[in-house]
Order: sequence, then structure tokens, then C-alpha cells
Amino acid sequence: MSARQPRFNQHLLIDTTPLPSSIPSVPEIGSSSAPLLSASYFIGARCKPYNDDFMQCKTDANGTGETDCLREGRKVTRCAASVLEDVNKSCLEEFRQHWSCLDDNNQQLWQCRRWERPLNKCVFEKLNIEKKIPGAPENEVQVHLRKRQIFAHSMTTQ
Amino acid sequence: MPQDMPPTGGYEPVQYRRNLPVRGFRPAYYLVALGAVMTYGFWRFGQGIREKNELAREKMWSRIYLTPLLQAEEDRDLVRRTLAAGKMERELMGGETKVYNSDRFVRPTYAVTPANVTK
Repeated sequence: MSARQPRFNQHLLIDTTPLPSSIPSVPEIGSSSAPLLSASYFIGARCKPYNDDFMQCKTDANGTGETDCLREGRKVTRCAASVLEDVNKSCLEEFRQHWSCLDDNNQQLWQCRRWERPLNKCVFEKLNIEKKIPGAPENEVQVHLRKRQIFAHSMTTQ
Repeated sequence: MPQDMPPTGGYEPVQYRRNLPVRGFRPAYYLVALGAVMTYGFWRFGQGIREKNELAREKMWSRIYLTPLLQAEEDRDLVRRTLAAGKMERELMGGETKVYNSDRFVRPTYAVTPANVTK
């Protein structure tokens, strides 16, 4: 909380006072990095307006963003939670395989294309969300759709 | 009486002339092969660089999509801790000290630590 993080060599001090009840509470995501990375493009596709609202609010707030943009932040969290919940309901096995592969491979997406393809296919069919990388050159195939990943460690995981 | 004489037909002729045949292809062919191998190598190198750029773009966009979510979570935590610290300060000191003349959020320099830590 202070400008320099204090380092206590014997104990960890966490203030566990909850938020006052005047601020509505929202169930936190509670996900680790691999499932979030796996679902990041789906979250981005579905939650684009909420994300843009939140970032615009933070930019415009001019210093008081943390306290003024709590409402937009709740909307962002709820939308991402809905994406994760939908993916868990419809594509749980493919999702789990993909993020387990990411956990084993240093969160490198190009090592796990073999499990990413069925996940993308399942999400596209059931939830109608497509993974698309904005800003990529239009005349080339997008890197997650290429047959051969140059930097993957083995041919079996591509 | 037997003497150590040369054989009757004489010795075979001794090779005294040089025998250094010029081997190898024409130098132009070597240069062409060199150019071809280098071109192929550079082309593959460029392919790898381009794929690396595309992978970096993919990674950046996935992080961009996740930033608002993580920032909102961190903001909630920050607000919670700020409000708790303000409440503790009001209980202990009777009021909050205003360091700057604006309402901008400033991370406090000092943190209150409890005298007895239970854990």
C-alpha cells in the first residue's frame, strides 16, 4: 500500500477488511493464468464494449479512476465471468486440455495448437465466438490457423 | 662370381614429371551454389522472423483483452484497502490527513502495521 512495497522477513501483512456494503459486490473470477490466456480471445470478442467503456472511463478520470470506475469494472468482471461460465458449460474437455497444455509449455500458445483447434471449433459452434487477431496482414493466413508452426518443439503438439 | 646387378630388363621408368590435376567445378558454379544456399537460408530466416512477429501480435492482443479484467480486480482491491486504511486512521487519529490539495488517489507513503501479528 505504501509507495515502496515493504518486505517483512517474518510475516505477511494482509488487511482483510472487506469492502463496505455500500459498494455492490461482484463474484471474482478466481482463475489462474492458463485458463484466462486460453479464453482471452473469447473474452475480448464478447466483452469488447465493456472493456472499451472501462478503459475510456479510466483514461477520462484523470487520477480518480480507481474509485470512479468501479461500476464499469463490475460490468467487465461479470461479462468475463459469463464467458468463462459458458465455455465451461459447453466445451469443458477441450478447454481443460488446452489450458493444461499451456501450463506445461510456459504459456506459449504456439506449442498447443493441437488442442486449440478443437477448442476454437467447439466455441465457434456452440457460442458463436470466433478467434481473430486484429491488425494481422490480410493476405496471410492467421498464425493460429497455420498448418505448420515453425517454432513448436515437436510435430505432435502442433 | 655373382654381383648385385640390375634386373635384366632394366627398371621401370621413374615418374619425374609433375602430376597435379586441376580438380573442381568452375568457380562460377561454386558462387552460384553459395548464393543459392545463402538465399534459401535468409528466406527461411525471414519466414521465422515473420512468424515470430505474428506470434508476438497474438500474445499482445490476448494481453490487451485481459487487461481491463485484471485492472478492475486490482482496482477493487485497492479501493478496499484504501477505505480500510482510512477507517483505521479515523478510529485511531480522529480524522484523515489530506496530503495534497486534490482528490486524486495517491498511494500513501507509510503503512500502519499492527503491533501484534496474529499469523
